[in-house]
Order: sequence, then C-alpha cells, then structure tokens
Amino acid sequence: MSPSDPMPQRPDISGADEEWQRLHPLSPLLRGGVVLLAILGYVAVQLVDRVLSSVQVGPGSGGSSPSDDGPLDQASAYPLIAFLAVVAFVGVVALVSWVSWRFSRFRVGGSQVELRTGVLFRQHRQVALERIQAVELGRPLLARLVGLAQVVVQSAGGADSNLTLAFLDNRRAEELRLRLLELAARTDERVPEGDAPVTEPDGVAPTQVVPGAGRTDVAPGATPAAPATPAAPGVPGARQRTVEDATPLVTVPNSRLFLATILHGSTIVLGALVLAVAGSGSFGELAFVFAGVPALLPLAFGVAVSRVRELLTNGNFSLAHTGTALRVRHGLTDLRISTVPLHRVQAVEVLQPLWWRPWGWWRVRVNVAGIHGSGEGSLETVLLPVGGIDDVLTVLVSLGARRDDPRLVQALLGPGGEPGWVGLPRQARWLDPWVWRRAGYLLAPQAVLVRRGRFTRRVAVVPYARVQSLTLIQGVLQRRLCLASTTVVSTPGPVSARLDHLSLDDAERYLDALAARARVARRAVPSSDRPPGEAAPDTPLAPGAAPLVD
Amino acid sequence: MRQTGTVADVFPTPPPPPDSTPGSERPPVTLRDGELPWRPVSPALRTVRLIGVAIVFGLLLLAAVVVSLVVSGWVWLAVLGLLVVAAWTAWVVHRQVSAISWVELDEEIVIRKGRLFRTLVSVPYGRLQYVDIQSGPLARAFGIAQCEIHTASPESGGSLPGLPTEEAEALRARLAARGEAQRAGL
Repeated sequence: MSPSDPMPQRPDISGADEEWQRLHPLSPLLRGGVVLLAILGYVAVQLVDRVLSSVQVGPGSGGSSPSDDGPLDQASAYPLIAFLAVVAFVGVVALVSWVSWRFSRFRVGGSQVELRTGVLFRQHRQVALERIQAVELGRPLLARLVGLAQVVVQSAGGADSNLTLAFLDNRRAEELRLRLLELAARTDERVPEGDAPVTEPDGVAPTQVVPGAGRTDVAPGATPAAPATPAAPGVPGARQRTVEDATPLVTVPNSRLFLATILHGSTIVLGALVLAVAGSGSFGELAFVFAGVPALLPLAFGVAVSRVRELLTNGNFSLAHTGTALRVRHGLTDLRISTVPLHRVQAVEVLQPLWWRPWGWWRVRVNVAGIHGSGEGSLETVLLPVGGIDDVLTVLVSLGARRDDPRLVQALLGPGGEPGWVGLPRQARWLDPWVWRRAGYLLAPQAVLVRRGRFTRRVAVVPYARVQSLTLIQGVLQRRLCLASTTVVSTPGPVSARLDHLSLDDAERYLDALAARARVARRAVPSSDRPPGEAAPDTPLAPGAAPLVD
Repeated sequence: MRQTGTVADVFPTPPPPPDSTPGSERPPVTLRDGELPWRPVSPALRTVRLIGVAIVFGLLLLAAVVVSLVVSGWVWLAVLGLLVVAAWTAWVVHRQVSAISWVELDEEIVIRKGRLFRTLVSVPYGRLQYVDIQSGPLARAFGIAQCEIHTASPESGGSLPGLPTEEAEALRARLAARGEAQRAGL
C-alpha cells in the first residue's frame, strides 16, 4: 500500500521526519480481546456443562440429553464440520486481524502525529505536536501479559480527539512516548533561532540524564536557550530531556492509600447505617434487620465498587519530576504512566476531607489544559491521592512554590484572620455560618490563594498568568447583606476557585486587583504568536521562573 | 529570565488588601452603576424578548380559554393566573434588558447582567478563543444580534445579546484583533 514500505522495519524513532509505521501485529487480536475472551468463555462453559451433564446421567435424564440444541452437541455429532468451522473461524479472525493490521499505520511527522485505520471506513486522525497536552502509556491486563502497551496522545479537544496507538511493544511505546513528549515540549518551548526544532539533529544524541534535577527546579535563572531547564552542571547549554529515570518525588504507600480510601464519606455513612441496623437487631427488633439488610446491600455494593475503583486507579502511586513535566505513575492492576507538562497546569487545589484530618492527610489536584475533569481523564488531575503536609509541600515545590513559605501552611491550616488574607465580613455568617471565618483570599506575588471549607478544607491556587476570566455574582439574599460571590475561572477541571460571600466592596476590589495582576502576568508569559526568547512559562505556579509566593 | 523583578516592583511583595487599581487610573469595575462608560444594549432587544414572551403566553392563554369554554368555568381562574404571570414576566424582561450593560476596557471586556441575580463577567482579550454572532429570525427582523464570547473554559465565556447587527460585527472584529494582539499562551 504505502510506497514507503521498503524502509527498514526497525522504527527510527529519532528521525525528524518519519515514514509510516505499523503497530504490533498482535494489536487487532488484543483490541478484540474482550470478544475473543467472551467466545472462549462461552465455549468453556458449554464444555463444562456437557461434561457435568454426561457425568450425572441418571435414569430419568436419558431421554432428553440428545435433544439439547447446544452448538457443542451438534458439533460432537459432526466432528468434521465442527473442525472445519473452527479452522474457518480462526482463519477469518486471522485474516481480519491481518488486514486491520496492514491498514493501521501511524507516523510522527514534522509537526503532527497521524494515525490511519480502517479498510472500509477509513479514518485518518492527526494531532498537531503543539496541541499535545499529555502522552500516556497504558498497559491493560491482557496487553501486559504479552508485553505490549498503548500510547494515548491527549490533545486539546477533549477525550474525543485523543489518538490511541494500540499496541506497541513496551520498549517501542516508551521510546515513542519520550519522543512525542520531547517534540511537543520542543514546539512549546519556542526554541530560539540556531536551535531550530525540526532540523536539529540532536535526536540521536544520547539522552541526557540529570538525576535529581527535579529538586533544583526553582532555579530562577533559566536562560532562553534552555527555558525550562535546570542548568545541567558541566554541560553548558545542553537541553535536558524528559528524564524518565528521575527519582520519584513522592510515593504513596498502598497501606496509607487503602486507609484513606476507606475513610470516605460514603463508607462512613454506610458504617453508621450498618451499626444502626445491627443495634436495632441487638435490641430484638428483628424486623428492622430483615428490612435493613436487603436495603443496605445495593448501597454497600455501590460504595464498595467506587472505593475499589479508586483504590485500583490510585494504587502504586508515585510522582516524579522530569524537568519540564511531572510524571504520574498509578494503577494497581492497570499500570498507567502519564505526564503532565508543567506549563499546562492551570490551577492547583489542596483539599482535606474531615475524616482525613486526624491523620493530617491531603490530596492535591490540578486543572490541566486539555484534560477534562470527568471520566477517565480525571485521573491525570490527581498529583497526590493522599499524603501528609510534607508531601503536599513537595508537590507544590515541584510546581514552583517555595517550601519555607509560611503562606502555604497558613493557607492549609490557618483558622482565618492572618495578615494579608482578606476574609468574609461578619454578615456573611447568616449565609455561611461554618466557613465565614476561615474562607478568604490572599493575593500573593504570583498567584491568588483562595481558602475555604471548614469541614473539607480546600485551598485553590491560581497563578495570575493562568486566569481565564473573572466573574462576580450577587443573589437576592446577598444583595440584602451587601455580599457577592467571585469566581476566578480556570480551564475545565476539578479545581474551582470560587469564593462566596465576600463583601461587595472587597469583591469589587478583588476583581480589579486580580484583573490588574493578570494583565501584567499575561504580558510576562510569551504566547505562540510572539517572538521567541522572552521568558518561557516554567513552573505553573510561578510562570516566568519565579517562585509561587516569595 | 527572572520575572520577579518586574512583577514585584509593580506590586510590592507583602500584598496589602487590594488597594484600588494599581497601575491604572481608570475608575474601578463595579457590579452596579459606576463611573465607567457602561453601554446599554439596544432597546430592540426588549421588543424581541417581549414578542417571544407574548407568543408563548398567547398560546397558553388561547389553550386555557378554549378549555374553560369547553370544560368548566373554573378554568377562568387559571386564565387569570396566566395573565398575572405573563404581566410579571413582561416586567422582569423589561427590567432585565435595561440591566444589561457592557464596557470595553484596555484589556478586558466586561459584561453585566441581571436584576435579581446580578452577574458580572470580565474576559481578557488575550483569553479569547473565538467569538460567535448569533441571531434568530425575530432578532434579525429587528436588526439585532447576540455576541457570544468563548474562552478556553466553557463556563467563563460571556454572551452579549441585543447588539445592532453592524455593531456586533464591529465588536467581533475589534475583539478578534485585540485577541490576536494580546493573546497569551495557555
């Protein structure tokens, strides 16, 4: 088909302009794996049935057994036809797989990734390299058994515009992911002249590993030639690759994760209900027990499913810093590695449900441009499923904050009323009796911190350079009390920086001050339309290589 | 390139409770009234919306009248109720339209709306993704259109109804030009 076939089959991952490549030959089978498994399962069940029924041939059952119309019964009656059918089936599957394999090709071109699939219904999907938001490596159970992996290229258009390369063998998938990330970062970085992205032959240069580079990321002197790079000592001007061997910043032990996952509102409510039912049983009110247990079962099932799912997705969690991105590994059975480019992080939230407070645990979530907070994509938005305050600070530091900044701890733990924070006025207690003391905002030099929540403590951090727009809302009751709610709008994601019931004056001042700071910050962040060489967005909480709050 | 210098100079590090508008002399953006040159929308919007309300309530009233003639005299009460609701809706629409105002600042467009629930949205030109202009048949007949502003976040866009069509086109052109000039990376 393709005229480019005579190229050597060994994929030249490092070439700047590439030929069409094929996926792994087993991929169609694996993609149809569920169907195949279902067919095999059906056959197995039928076989077992047959064996069982032939074993318990009793005096009464003799009359009806040959009249069973199961396909296996028929098959055993005509072994030759059955054999031919199986051969034909295998043949058809093989042929279809082969054709499907022949017709699925992908290519990493100069500026885009392309995937062509389909024979009758052809599909050609392409993602521009500069639109790549994240590249994820997925290893479903079946694929992992045969050592394959899939590469999911996430782009800005939501889940529908993802490009999934399934499947490649592990090493090739890893190489491809690295290369895509590198290319994506390269187009993002706007490398100045003389270091032109496409013609640059450094793809073949050995990957430069700077172990522990993640810890020095706040070095504020990034030069234009190495915009997002902690200077590699001894190798001046060398650009750092996405270092895969970076030591993890944070790992979450599964035991802690297990406890934290169990400590969830739903399980606690369920536990209380179970106790109530059991208590009523111990008082002899058996009617309650008989009524309660069947009612609780579906509830318990639902809770168990959601908890187990969270445990499965967040298991084996570790977070590493790779210079320009954060690499998240997670998954108890289905190991996933996803990469969040630092400059795509739009907002950060640290939250602590009430039940985690005795342990001092927190969760860190982020909004990432192009990754939407619902469905499967929501997994990439958790940078720390559960961790102590040290872990939280480590994550925030990797995003550009400073560890010794007192404002971070204030934001997390403070009861309200600290200097610098603007809180809610007294009359807000009528609308929000619990939170009004603690809620508030702080305009730090690089980002706005919004603190709220008395039971579930939340702190949202939005860098000024990432503010999308600002809204002010005033309801009927709020007008009576001279209050207003404000929202710092970020891109879609789990983090919301809404602050309810500020006094109207404060809210208007907040809006004006935020708008002014966002204006300045936007100018500092270079856009794709501006000439390169200006400050490159470095760490999300501190675009322009400055710490989050200093 | 270290940015702290510039940023910290403009805004001193210990951030005071946001004091007026640093770095610019324009009057502040307020939820109500204010000294900025807020612009109202075309009064034709009121007509268009009132016609819409009239059509809906006209149909409902017709149905109610028919039912009351055919079935029972008690339904006249419902007709009365409908009339009251229609009058109230018309009054609300009337007030809502006069509550819409907008202003183009140096780097943002600000849109205010609503009487009972007042909202204000401030969208920087640099964050604009694209601008839509919509107009239904009724609105077209009255020569007005709605300007729909989209950013990277679905919740943050603003819509500005009731602009004269040429005004809407001009606004779109202006927004697009300023968006290009001030575009900021995501």
